[in-house]
Amino acid sequence: MLKLAWRNLTNEPTRMAISVTGIALALVLILAIAGIFAGSEEFAVAYIKNEPAPIWLMQSGVANMHMSSSYISPELITEAEQIEGIKDITGVLYSGGNLESGEDSIIGYIIGLDPQAEIGGPWSLVEGRQNPERGEIIIDAELAKRLGVELGDEVSLFNTAHKIIGLSRGNFGIGGSLAFINKQALSEWMAVPPDAASFALVRPEEGGDIDALMGRMQSQLPDLNVMQQADFAASDIDLIRQMGVDIIRAMNIIAYIVGLLVIGLTIYTATLERSREYGMLKALGANNSRLAVVVLGQALISAALGILLGTGLAYVIAVLITRVSPDMLILIDPRYVLNQVPILTLVTGIAALLPASRIASLDPMIAFKA
Amino acid sequence: MSSILEMESVSKTYGKGHAAVQAVDQASMKIDPGEIVLVMGPSGSGKTTLLSIAGLLLKPTQGRLLINGESINGKSQRQMADLRLHTLGFIFQAYNLLSALSARENVEIVMSMAGKRGKAASQRTTEILEKLGLGSRMHHLPADLSGGEKQRVAIARALANDPQLILADEPTGNLDSKTGEEVMGLFCHGMGREQGRSMIIVTHNPEFERIADRVLWLEDGRLSEGNGRIQH
Repeated sequence: MLKLAWRNLTNEPTRMAISVTGIALALVLILAIAGIFAGSEEFAVAYIKNEPAPIWLMQSGVANMHMSSSYISPELITEAEQIEGIKDITGVLYSGGNLESGEDSIIGYIIGLDPQAEIGGPWSLVEGRQNPERGEIIIDAELAKRLGVELGDEVSLFNTAHKIIGLSRGNFGIGGSLAFINKQALSEWMAVPPDAASFALVRPEEGGDIDALMGRMQSQLPDLNVMQQADFAASDIDLIRQMGVDIIRAMNIIAYIVGLLVIGLTIYTATLERSREYGMLKALGANNSRLAVVVLGQALISAALGILLGTGLAYVIAVLITRVSPDMLILIDPRYVLNQVPILTLVTGIAALLPASRIASLDPMIAFKA
Repeated sequence: MSSILEMESVSKTYGKGHAAVQAVDQASMKIDPGEIVLVMGPSGSGKTTLLSIAGLLLKPTQGRLLINGESINGKSQRQMADLRLHTLGFIFQAYNLLSALSARENVEIVMSMAGKRGKAASQRTTEILEKLGLGSRMHHLPADLSGGEKQRVAIARALANDPQLILADEPTGNLDSKTGEEVMGLFCHGMGREQGRSMIIVTHNPEFERIADRVLWLEDGRLSEGNGRIQH
């Protein structure tokens, strides 16, 4: 019966193509939306993940870099530096701000960096130098292209011209762009002391016990939250997921409905056209469950091919889009693809119900009609 | 020797009340092993209904139907389907081949439905198709076969599960006279009559009378044994 299912499909390549493409496009939609969100997550935590600081300090009650405000006073930073087992602490200021050039404006996540800081700056500099002085800025090379500026040109931030002294990579995402300026200049704009920080990046002494150090820091610095680098990144990802989960769910439901309708309608019309053949098989002795296997087989084969095609297309589209528009990072997680398989199989099964019920109600006497 | 099929005062009424139509009225017949029985009659006389009842596709409103001496009254749809698959073979006027399958696969699929697969089933398919002169056409799709070839594939399919009784509905109805003659020859020789296989052939084609053991005449749902017509 599965051979009949396969032949029924391959004998009508146009219908098969519509069915397979339908499920493929539905899957592309699902994977692309999820991929865009995954890419956004990756960009959002890129700074936390790429800085070589296993421990991060922030204001008590704060556990995120995004959608939150953290303030660490200079006194608390000095106090933290006294704790045994710390190699160094780098305080950075963090604020939002628009990066502008001519008519173009991009949302910026601004890091205020001390010129002497060893860490906390861009981790991948493609051109220029690190450690901006007052009136200087490091921006992403792709953002520079987007704004039509080069090294040595100026962009406006906080209504002040900043000379581009470095171009970095991996700091431009769909939600905005990371830029690095002088910490003292940012502190003045934020109206906080120059030695204060939004977050502090902690490097422990080599070979030190990180958990023990974190325990000491937490007990000696009750006004600060101490987080491991991985936990801090995970906390931000959780926050972004909470913000995007409803959109992803809604888009997935739309995609499932599209897939269901495409498969359901193509298999249903194919079943209608072959009613006489199915009626004849019933007359010869095929029972309804055998014929349901043919319909379900057709639907599942379409879905399997659609899943393969859709996954391939999604990867190709992700690569092409990221190449054309580097700020739009689309990450396709193979585990997410695998998670879709049982759901799409269930959707396919539902799509096969209508044609299967049509077959069940067929009168085998149709075979006698000339 | 017991009859393969026996009908006892079988009637079939469509609809109810004033709209009721009596398609078959108190029909009785017995089909013995190896017997070829022709059912003739004018259009609308109830031939297809009678054949559908004999083929276990339609339950009679009244009367009793026995297959190999066993009443089919009270049998479930699944049991009836099993009986059709193993005991009966069907040949339709419009061939009714599966358009997506080759001639060979059209035969194999009914064997597969009956649980016959593998080398033995494959050999039997080849034998039947070669015997019916389709040795070189077995891998063709129905669309690539002539009307006569299609009907021979349908005959091969009807023979696939070695049924005791073949029910044929206008088997030459869609064929030209020469091809019809060839197909009729197959009913006489090559379809296992010699081995006790029986056939009920519904037809308008009087040529079939030459090969029939008996001719039944059906008119207004009433069946008469013998070669004559109902005397009004």
